[in-house]
Amino acid sequence: MIKGKIPGEATGIEVRRSVCTICDPSGICGLDCYVKDGRIIKVEGTLENPNNGGTLCSKGAAQRQWVYHEDRLRTPLKRVGPRGSGEMKPISWTEALDAVAGNLQRLKAESGPESVVFYCGYPKQPRPFLQRLALEFGSPNYCTESSACFTAMAMSWRLDYGQMAGPDIANTKCLLVWSGNPFYASTPNARRLMDARDRGVKFIVIDPRKSPIAGIADLHLRLRPGTDGALALAMANVIISEGLYDRQFVSEWSRGFDGYRALAAEYGLERTEQITGVPAALIREAALLYATSKPAAMMPSSTPVVHHTNGVQNQRAAAALVGLTGNFDIPGGNVPQSFSWLEVSGAGFTTREHEFAMPRAWDDMPPRLGAERFPVWTRMIDQGQAMDLPRQIATGEPYPLRGMVGFGMNHRLWPDSNGLMAAVDKLDFVCVVDLFLTDTAKHADIVLPACSSVERSELRCYPQKYAILTRPVIEPLGEARSDTDIIIGLVQKLGLDDPLLNPAGSGAGGPGRGFLPNGAPDFGEVFDDALDWILQPSDVTITELKKHPAGMPVPKPLPVAFKKYEKKGFPTPSGKMEFASSLLEEQAGCSGFDPLPVYNEPRLSPVSTPDIAGEYPLVLNTGPRLPMFIHSRTFRLPWTRSLRRDAAADLDPATARNLGVAQGDRIEVSTSTGSIQVLANLTELAHPGTVHMFHDYPEADVNSLLQGDYLDPISGFPGYKAALCAVKKVAPAASPTEEVRQ
Amino acid sequence: MSHAFYLDVDRCTGCFACAVACMDQNDLEVETESIAWRQVFPITLGEGPDARLRYISLACMHCEDAPCLMACPTGAIARETGTRVVKVRSEFCIGCHSCSIACPFGVPRFGKDGTMQKCDLCSVRLENGLDPACVRVCPTKALRQGDPNDLGLEVGRKAAERFAGP
Repeated sequence: MIKGKIPGEATGIEVRRSVCTICDPSGICGLDCYVKDGRIIKVEGTLENPNNGGTLCSKGAAQRQWVYHEDRLRTPLKRVGPRGSGEMKPISWTEALDAVAGNLQRLKAESGPESVVFYCGYPKQPRPFLQRLALEFGSPNYCTESSACFTAMAMSWRLDYGQMAGPDIANTKCLLVWSGNPFYASTPNARRLMDARDRGVKFIVIDPRKSPIAGIADLHLRLRPGTDGALALAMANVIISEGLYDRQFVSEWSRGFDGYRALAAEYGLERTEQITGVPAALIREAALLYATSKPAAMMPSSTPVVHHTNGVQNQRAAAALVGLTGNFDIPGGNVPQSFSWLEVSGAGFTTREHEFAMPRAWDDMPPRLGAERFPVWTRMIDQGQAMDLPRQIATGEPYPLRGMVGFGMNHRLWPDSNGLMAAVDKLDFVCVVDLFLTDTAKHADIVLPACSSVERSELRCYPQKYAILTRPVIEPLGEARSDTDIIIGLVQKLGLDDPLLNPAGSGAGGPGRGFLPNGAPDFGEVFDDALDWILQPSDVTITELKKHPAGMPVPKPLPVAFKKYEKKGFPTPSGKMEFASSLLEEQAGCSGFDPLPVYNEPRLSPVSTPDIAGEYPLVLNTGPRLPMFIHSRTFRLPWTRSLRRDAAADLDPATARNLGVAQGDRIEVSTSTGSIQVLANLTELAHPGTVHMFHDYPEADVNSLLQGDYLDPISGFPGYKAALCAVKKVAPAASPTEEVRQ
Repeated sequence: MSHAFYLDVDRCTGCFACAVACMDQNDLEVETESIAWRQVFPITLGEGPDARLRYISLACMHCEDAPCLMACPTGAIARETGTRVVKVRSEFCIGCHSCSIACPFGVPRFGKDGTMQKCDLCSVRLENGLDPACVRVCPTKALRQGDPNDLGLEVGRKAAERFAGP
């Protein structure tokens, strides 16, 4: 029984409920922790959780090695060696928080509060809290990892429709998966997609790679990376010229259709085959299948379409097909739903997250990071654009940046990641909060140890009208504290005027209700009260959530309605769906953006820069997901690392043959910016002529090969999915054991 | 009742969740040795534009007429009464690797102590009404466990639905 880890009185094993936030998409997985003597001995997905329904991915299943890793930080650290050296010494929390608060106050006095940047990577749970802290401190420079993930996709939909609209997979007849690999990036959805296929839903997959989702497709359009916009316009042209578009919707509810039709007409099938590499007949077949399946839904993804220098316009062109075919806001189409909490829409309730996170208006503060360079982002998104960080640090324009507090910050999400850290090293004061002394944390003056999800409390919700409030299932490791407790502690230490997070208002940093066993002040009540305040517009309460450790259905969920625009119009400037964006039209004067979803070649490509392609003939595609890794987070876990031990780039066998490269050979991948050495993994998954490389390997950081300004001018997103590189063989495969496993 | 694994090959995406759930359930030390009890193999059919990629998750099949059991000179490998699971008792194993030679699925693994180890179908979990760890974790429900005849009926029903059309 003990060996089988069977819970019950006989074994003393108790199942306690939590969530996994090793990866942090909009819907995180419910986690059952098998706890014996205060220690987790096994994990499992929570059956009752409607998101993952008892399942987990390979990363979540490795939870124990994440939580109990020997490298976990157990005390705050103070830097004693040079920045980046990792030479640190343990210090007390009192000394650490005094140093952080003292430096922030000093920088505020010397250079203004805007000189301090507040950044949040993973997990996403502390985001509204950190934004509140930043703005109360007086800095507009709150930014997140969403400066390179998800947001540009949402912006594109908002430019077209004023809102994001997800696919109604349960009721659709055809699913157009526009890039992305949900089987690895969104595993809780995996079984739903397979069930849809078994129901006879037609799958059209747009993807350069033969990824597992392409493997189940009825039609797979294998386009050259970065040519999504041309493909979408060609599909629109087929749909319009064959009279298959929704004339009534287009005439009553859209703006700029004539211009869009004329633009699409430039993308005939033969020309588009030349641009994209997708056979003309297949483009036509996909357009017809999508337009004639009623209803049809489009599944966008967080990065592949927007990680291009024409990313937003490419994504806008793809999203426009939804309105064109009359699939917007209908059952089985793409349905916008009201926002609930932490990037989740459609959980059936609304909150005061925005009011909580935005205690001041942007207009009351100096311009945010990226305000001048990315005016569309700044207008649409309530964050700074973090990709502008290295520039502003280097130039001091429009004002100097001098300090940074980074929660779960991973510098390898920036292009020219080494350039970013060279800039960060110029800052006067840096504090990083993380579970590990990461390569980013090594550049900090003070490092604060954070809890994993199983050691803290958090609120999450799901589109299945379900919500969960977790409580710690084990004691924090060492002196680790939850991210939100660290933020509450800072708010109090800084003496900020905050009735929710600093209710005593003393500013002395004194704990309200005693201490946790590891000596940390117990902010549990402050946290719960803040959540109750946030949840006030809903029927969800902390009291009720506490009674349901595995989560509970949202009481009286908001009804799901369709064609909501018929009553309220679209939340765009014109009140209509905008084939021609009013917002981009307004910006056109100063920024030169086309209001129509125009196609431009990637800034670096064999077509746009044939001279550079002479030296760097292959397309470089960074960040395609591997199932066992998520950004930099699980490399250090033996269980996940054993599945793919070596940093490797995926190349298709024919391309590799031409380069004289065999399986497992050591190769050099180089760009005009730099080079890395990795193993070659020959796979038919790879797009011919393209090098696919997972990002974030500490020993081979592929994002360091991109130029720091290789960004989409509308969103500021990096063009990770299509740059140029060269590959040459450095050494033959060392031994059969060095063969890449996957 | 006998137990068998079933893998719906059309649903396996090569995500490795089963392999790691097995490591977690059985406290496998994979740091230096490749001793995972469940393996996931990406298989390529054909080449170039027509190539197809499939993923196969494999562990011990718990064969009825188990070649490893027949080959084992010490009786370390035995079939459990009740669950009919093929199990290895490491205290009797002499590390001769005969089972490796006999097994058509490449299942036997040898850890630091040199004795054979492999999947036991989470038989203790089965006895307590729980699915094996790999089955429970599977994000696409590709992996299943049960009586082979019952599993066959389930597969047959799905095939019948396909024949009947949408």
